Order: sequence, then structure tokens, then C-alpha cells
Amino acid sequence: MQITVNDTSYTIDVEPEMPLLWVLREELGITGPKYGCGIAQCGACTVHVNGYAVRSCQLAIGDLGNSSVKTIEGLGTPDSLHIVQEAWIEHQVAQCGYCQSGQIMQAASLLSTNPDPSDDQIDAAMSGNLCRCGTYPRIRAVVKAAAKKLQGS
Amino acid sequence: MKMSFLRAAFAITSLFSVTVLSAGDKVEINPPLAGSVSKEQGLEAWSRIFEVASHPRCANCHTGPSDRPMWSGPSYGKTRVHGMNIQAGNSRIGAETILCSTCHTNKSEDWSNANVTKHAAPRVAMSWALAPATAHWFGRTTQQICEQLRNPETNGDRDTLEIAEHLNHDLILHWAWAPGGNREPAPYSLQEHVNDILAWGVAGTPCPQD
Amino acid sequence: MGRLRTITRRTFLIGSAAIAGGVVFGTYLAKRPIKNPLLTDLQDGEAAITPYVKIDANGVTLITPRADKGQGAYSMQARLIAEELDIDPASAILSPGLPGPAYYNGAVMEESVPFPAYDQSTMAETVRKFMHVPAKLFSMQMTGGSSTVPDGFVKLRMAGAIARETLKEAATLKSGIARDQLKTEDGSVVLPDGSRLAYTDLASTAASIEPITDVELRPKSDWKFLGKPMPRIDMPAKCTGTEQYGIDLVFDGMVHAAVRANPGLGAKVKSYDASVAESMRGVQKVLPINNGVAVIADNTWRAWRAADAVDIQWAAGPYPGTTDEIFSEIEKVVDSDEHRDHRQRDEGDVEAVLEEGEYFEAVYKVPYLAHAPMEPMNAIVKVTDDRCEIWTGTQIPLFVRDHAADLSGLDKDRVFVYVQAMGGSFGHKLEDTHVLQAVEIALAMKGTAVKLVWSREEDMTHDYLRPGAIAKGRGRVADGKVDAFDLSVGQSALMADWFGRLMGMTIPGPDATITTGSWDQPFAIPNYRVTGYRAPTMVPISSWRSVGASGNGFFHDSLLDELIYEAGADPLAERIRLCLDDTSRKVLEKVGEISGWDGPSISENRGRGVAFCLSFGVPAAIVTEVTHNGAGIKIDKVFVVVDVGEVLDPINLEAQVFGGVIFGMAHAMNCETTFENHAAMQDNYHAFEGMRLYQVPEFEVVALSNAKKIRGIGEPGVPPAAPSLGNAIFAATGQRIRELPFNKHIDFL
Repeated sequence: MQITVNDTSYTIDVEPEMPLLWVLREELGITGPKYGCGIAQCGACTVHVNGYAVRSCQLAIGDLGNSSVKTIEGLGTPDSLHIVQEAWIEHQVAQCGYCQSGQIMQAASLLSTNPDPSDDQIDAAMSGNLCRCGTYPRIRAVVKAAAKKLQGS
Repeated sequence: MKMSFLRAAFAITSLFSVTVLSAGDKVEINPPLAGSVSKEQGLEAWSRIFEVASHPRCANCHTGPSDRPMWSGPSYGKTRVHGMNIQAGNSRIGAETILCSTCHTNKSEDWSNANVTKHAAPRVAMSWALAPATAHWFGRTTQQICEQLRNPETNGDRDTLEIAEHLNHDLILHWAWAPGGNREPAPYSLQEHVNDILAWGVAGTPCPQD
Repeated sequence: MGRLRTITRRTFLIGSAAIAGGVVFGTYLAKRPIKNPLLTDLQDGEAAITPYVKIDANGVTLITPRADKGQGAYSMQARLIAEELDIDPASAILSPGLPGPAYYNGAVMEESVPFPAYDQSTMAETVRKFMHVPAKLFSMQMTGGSSTVPDGFVKLRMAGAIARETLKEAATLKSGIARDQLKTEDGSVVLPDGSRLAYTDLASTAASIEPITDVELRPKSDWKFLGKPMPRIDMPAKCTGTEQYGIDLVFDGMVHAAVRANPGLGAKVKSYDASVAESMRGVQKVLPINNGVAVIADNTWRAWRAADAVDIQWAAGPYPGTTDEIFSEIEKVVDSDEHRDHRQRDEGDVEAVLEEGEYFEAVYKVPYLAHAPMEPMNAIVKVTDDRCEIWTGTQIPLFVRDHAADLSGLDKDRVFVYVQAMGGSFGHKLEDTHVLQAVEIALAMKGTAVKLVWSREEDMTHDYLRPGAIAKGRGRVADGKVDAFDLSVGQSALMADWFGRLMGMTIPGPDATITTGSWDQPFAIPNYRVTGYRAPTMVPISSWRSVGASGNGFFHDSLLDELIYEAGADPLAERIRLCLDDTSRKVLEKVGEISGWDGPSISENRGRGVAFCLSFGVPAAIVTEVTHNGAGIKIDKVFVVVDVGEVLDPINLEAQVFGGVIFGMAHAMNCETTFENHAAMQDNYHAFEGMRLYQVPEFEVVALSNAKKIRGIGEPGVPPAAPSLGNAIFAATGQRIRELPFNKHIDFL
């Protein structure tokens, strides 16, 4: 099976029902997407499939087809940050950080389709991503700040 | 902004390589002969149709003007709106905020255990969506649902044969009878439900309070 | 500074040792120096200056032995050392180091003294100092109790100062310029002519000299890093998916393990059939482990699926099978003399006053709760004939080492624990069952690294829970004032349970955690009594963010709020009137000021509640505003005031405070762990939701610095959160909810 992740093509040999998350983490060694629940309750595994946020624990690899996958590693790197990541660092959002890859990927997906979300839209789009440390107040603030930054860029 | 939503709505339908018809049960569509179903038999068929329509597997996503799906039924405990502040929006697929398909991913292959994991988001071989606002079933009476379903203005401009065809093709509806994950399926079977729709149509789509 | 100098001379003994090309120092708060653990593994050309600073050609490594569970402990520890060492903490290498007794935590033990935190009398302080001795004796290298800053505030800066002065002395030897003519800056000693000698080039020389111990800590006015907003060092990694948690580590040839242990906690496996699992793709082995079955496969997902396919017959858990039965055991002990554990507060004559006539009475209840950190329990273990290596996120590295030694039959010094960054803990990683399971599996796979990851379901059904508790409150009001307050708290003893489990010893005497957060509150009520009753240990229990105060904060403040209502007094004004501690009173006054407090009612459907709890030495007051729109409660805004004595990082402090408050409120809203057939019923986040972004209120956080002692802030936001919400719900609706979670009685929007 061929899949494309962060613009790199990989050949894998796994069961079609293996979730994309575990293909990424253990077959390809791409560990930015995190396992938190396995049932779409926490969002820590969020990646982009053809540009849209998807819980990678819910997408069987056999259903990926020719779609391209982008993980947090493909969004930006410490040396070349995506604007959303830049805002995240400026706002000092993360605590334990385990949910943050998913939070950032969800926010980036929201802002790519809705560059100027209202508070209510942010609360709707980002409420599927669980954070147990309680970084939420800064998440709400940073999505707005990132939207402004993106509009200015 | 509207453009973005449309773009999203379009993109999501082409998100996965969809081999829709390989999944789900095939249904036979054999309407009874005209005049062969009495009004009483039609009403009996309707009462079974209502059992299906008002069952949580169906009604939870037929919430009418609300753009919020519901969580209710034996597998959910107390009735509540879908967690995580989910709003399907005018797009009915969540394009304005978060797509239903973020969690309810499309499955394009037909393996038997696709929805075996308890409490995971159900998956079918098409894009998950909330029913149109006109198809309002959740919490409504048998008469209200009946009138909505027989009125082409509120049922997607369909006659009962077309409703039966719709049931055959809309794989989310097939899921209601094979929901997996310890969820209670809708009553009867998809075939029985289609038969009832057809019989109800031949009987002249009678409603209880006619 | 004079006082600190004295302490330095008297109590910091310095051991130094020359290692090939380097130097090692120790700073210890005790008479006998403890071995510097950095000496064990030093290579040629490396120097370990104090157990907290190691220098080699690559640069300066700062050792941060308190675990980072997300609270920013690594950044803070690095900053405390760097403040004196004159190095940019962001350019240093941070490492938790290998665990060692040198890193014992004295401050955390101070919490167990029988004095309330506001009592800073000579007696209380003397006893607190004494608690450092058992901490050292028991090698208490643990992270918890909001103690990282209090424990390290002097210790870590001293380590930095000693290393700095010794490096300067080395520069004196090289340059011939007297030490008092030298300065330090950004990782170098600076000579009067402006030329620089990098620390990395001075290490070998520093190794050959006596370390300089007569050092002074810099005054606050000279601080460069402390007291100012500082970006967390781990932030870029955590925002780019490049932070490596224990669960992310990979080794060549590593195998992946899954376990299913008895959901009846502590009970055995009767029998199992692994024939289906053994035939599944990628499965290498299925083996019995203590109270469970393990599957070894080539991939975690395959291991989990195979584990699910093992047909296991369980023995029943050794405790009552249902939550109702468990709570009825707890109910039995409350107000039963036979089960009285302690009564640390008994002022006036509560009994006599209540007998005089009618009194107020209410019963409160809090549930068992899982920790459920986002990163599930995991560990990688590799065992060979003479070595056991463990990679895991843990708050108790020395216990892990000792337990692994016992299990593997290896000497303790042949067990190496490499502490990993953690995706949360909230107290879960004060336990090591998962690590020992991994050791057991690794013993069956000698020479191969075994990675064990608990599924979310395994994690949430095999936790050591926050104990459920019942409290009976009674009281009387007179002349518009609270006149008598009597609280009887019944629960199992979590500290005794934990010590018994981890240290294999029975702790004699009372378990203070039964009433921590209620007996020790800074109020003067004429007749004031708090009694703890010990229920038998049933399901295994442990510390959960804010420990005893997590439930007691709710009990104490809810009862107080009810009595104030009975008295017809203003909730805030009466708390202020009753408060006997200046620092705490100022916190209450401040929260009134920033929230614009003018009584509990805001408008017809809106109300506010105030709550207060002194925990871990930090007075914390919260005002919560809510709206009830008919369908449910919306939490609008939360004002929090705390006093930590000295704010070392205002940005991280704010995050810890609102994070703690959200943690407390989230569980109060909708979380509980219940039991049926001896098994925990909530096995994933669908049944243990917590708070989602749309439910999160606006926050305003203020930190005061009136307290005399510096304190940690990871936990104190938690205890007053639930009662402030309950009191606000009462203000908005007239409905008093005495049982958590609140959503058993009212919906939240």
C-alpha cells in the first residue's frame, strides 16, 4: 500500500483496518499525532487529510485512498514555524503539550476554511479537542490571534 | 466566506475514493399492486415506519431546525445534545466549523467490524451529515412526522417509491440497522422498513389523524 | 542575605571529586553528603558541578530532577539554577538526570505536619524542618504537593551560585586575575578586559580545586530571569510535535506489549484462553503477568487487538462490588467513635452549642475520580543479565528503581530509570504498576526492549483513584454570624494506602489527608470542629491533583457558605470577618475587588459564588459567575486570587491557576468513577468528559505576594473551584447541590 504523508511517499504492508494513527506512529515513526482515546473523543491524533482535520484514530488506512496526509510535523518545524504555531508559542499555550498537536491541526484546518471565525465558531470548531491541563483560555485567545496574523500575512 | 464553505462541502464529498455501492445491504424494491393495501394496513405500516423514524438511530440526526445532532437512546443514558458542541450548520456537514467527517470518517471498504469499537464515531461509506431541517423527527409526534414524509415540499420532492430508493442508496440509513458498538439498531430490518414505506404509499400515505 | 549565608555555612556540605577532565560538587541540606548521582556515568572530559550542573564539551547540562508533567517544572528548575549560574536556560541542555537520593524532596514532607500552613510559629517551623530528615532517609525523590518551587527555591540557586564561583576560581587559576575581579555572563567568565573564558573550557580546571562554597544568593533586585515572564523552554517542541514523550520513544528491535489486568483491582486471573490471540497477525507471545495477561506483538495496535481477543476469567475484586456498597461502608464510619482517625481542630464547645437547640445539618458527597492524563501509562523496559533499563514518565523514580530491582533480582544500582517528559499526570504517575508490568514482560524477553502502552480503557479502569468521601456538616448561626461549625469527613486513607503500596510499610497514626483542606482553614469560628473518620481501604486510592483538599475544599467551603446563608450574612463579607490570617484575608478582599462583588445575586438568572481554600500553603479565593437560562448552567466568568509569596513566572503561574480551576470545575461538573461488578465503569472520555472549550469561562487571575514563604501553584487552584461553582449555582437558582458531580442534579450548557 502506498501512502503520502507530509509530501513523502511510503510503502506499507498493514491490515486495511489499521487506523492511520498507528500507521503514522509505529510504521512510519511520525509521532506528532498522539494517541489519547482511540474513539474520537479527545482529538489528540488530529491530522489533515486533503487539507481537512481528521481524527487519525478513526480513519482506517484502507479508506485513505489517494488522499494526502499532513501531520503537525508537516505543518511547520521549530526552524520554520507555521503562523498558527508561531502564535501558539507567543501565547505560551501548552502545558503538558500532549493534546497540542491536535489542537493546532484543528485550528489550522478551521482557519484555512474560515479565516475570520467568530468566538462561537471557535468554540464550536475546537470543542472536540480535549485538554486535561486546562489550557483552554489561551486556546480561545490564540485562535483569534492566529486569525489576525494570517490575515496580515 | 460562503465560498469557503461551499469549497469545503465539495471537497468533503471527494475526500476519499468512494466505492459507495459495494457497502451495505441490497434492498429489493417491489411495491404492492395498486389497490392491494387497505387504509388500515397502510396505517399499520405507518405505525412501524414511525417506530423506525422515532428510534434514536434515526431521530438523533433528524433534529429539524436545530443544527445539533442528539445523543439519546439505550446506549447513551440521559438524552442530551451531541457532545463537543457539535453544530452541523446550514451545510448540514459542519463545514462552517468542524466537519462531521472529522470523526465520522468515510469507510470505503466493506469489512464487518468497521463500527465494532464501542463509543467511537460511527462510520459509513459516505459523508456523515445531519438530515435536512425539513425532515424533523426528533421529539415529534407520529402525525407530524407522517405529514412531513408524505409532503413533497418537506420530503425532498419524493413519492414513496423514491423514498424507498433513497433508503436503498443512502448508506447512513443502512447504518441504522447495523450500528455496531453495542448500539441498539433501529427496529425491524431495512427490507421490512422499505416494504412498509411502499405499502404505506400504495395505501395512499394515510396518517393517524386523517 | 545574612540569613542565607548562615544557612549556607551551616547546612550545605560540599563534596567534590575530580573526575577525568571534570569536577563534581554536591549541595545537600544535611550533615552527611549524599553521593552525587552524576558521578556514576561521567565520561572523560565531563564535569558535574553539584548534582544539578554537569559540563562537557557540548555545553552545560542543568539537571532538573523534579518531573515535568506539564506544569513547567523543567523550565522553572533550569531558571533557578541559571539565575545564579549566569547562563541562558534556553541554551542549556536540560536533563532530569538519573534518580538519586541527592534529589530528595524535603518540602513535600513539610505538608504532613500537624500545623495549618498559616501557623508559622517556631514550633511549627521546627517540626517542618524535621520532616526533611525522613524525606532524605526514605530517598523521597518525588514530584508532587506543589513542592518543586518551595523545595528548589534556595537549593537550586545555591547549586548555580556554587558552580559559578567555582568556575570563576578556575578562571583565576588560568588568568591570574583575582576572583573578585571576574564577572560571569551567558555561560562564560568575563575578565576585566572583556575577554571571555567559556564554562566548557574551565571544567577541567574546576575539577582540580576545592569548590567555592561561601557564596551569597543574589537579591531579588538583581534577578534576570526570575519574577519575569519567561517563555517555557519546552514550548517550541510542544507546538511542533517534536517534544518526545515516553510513549514516543523507539528502540531498534523493540517489541510492543499490551496488558489486560483484572478490572477487579488487585484480584487474580482464574484462567485464560489465548488461542485466538496467538494466531493474530504480529503476535509473538501471550504470557501471564501479575493479575493479568500480556500480549507481545510488533505494533501497539495489534497488541491491543490481540489482548482484547484473549478470553479471560477474572477473580472478583477484593472490595465491595458496587459504588453504592462502597459508599455505604464510608457512610458507616462517619461520626463513629470507633473509626475516628483524628480531630485536629476542636475549638469552643461544638457539642454543647448544638445541643442547645436547632441546628443546621447537611450531608455532602464527592465521588471517586480517575486521573486520566492525556498520555496513557506507558513504559519501555530492557532487561539483560546484569542491567535493567527503564524509560518512563514518573514522579517517583527511586521507588520505580527499587521495585524494579526487587522484581528483577538485580541490585538497585543495576537498575537505571530514565525519566521522560509526561503528557500530564495529575497524580497518576505517582504509581508504577504499569512499569512493573513492563519489567515482568521484559524479564520474559531478555535482551529486547519492551514498550508497554496501556490503552485508554486499561488506563481508566486500572487507576488509583481520588477517594470518594462523605461529609456530615452541622452548624449554628447567631446574630447574623456563623457561631458553630462542625464537619465530619469519612473516607479511606489515601496516604496510608500509597505508602503501604509503594514503601511496603504501615504508617502508624492518623492519615491527615482525610481532612486536609478542611481542618486547616484560616477561620476563627467560636465553636469550630473538624473530625476525620477512616473508612477501610476498598478500591486502591492515591493522590489526585490537590490530594486531600480536592474533596475537603468542597466540603468545608460548601458548609461554610450554607451557614453564612442561614445567618443572612454576605458570603464574602462573612468569610472576611471570620478570617484570622492576614495573607488569606487580603486574598479574599482582592477577589471581592476584582470581581466587583456586591452580593451573590447579579440579576434574575445570574448569580455569583465565592469560595476559599488554603492548600499547600497557598490561600486561593475564587468568585464564579453563572447564568441559568432554564436549560442549564453556563459558567460566565471566574476571578481567582492566590498568594504564593513570590511570583517567579507570572505567565506560567496564570496558566497553572486557570488550569487548576478548570480541572476542579470540570470534574465537579460531570466526572465520577463508579463501580459495578468490582470494575470501574468509566473507561474512556465519553464517560468522563471534563470541560470542553465552549464551556470554559473567561478568567481573571491575580497573584499577590504578601505571604512570607514561597509556594508552588500546580494544585491550589483546584480545591476552591468546585465549591465556588456550587455556591454560584445556589446564588443563581436557589438549588443547593451537595453531591458531585453537579450534573447528577443540574445540566450544564
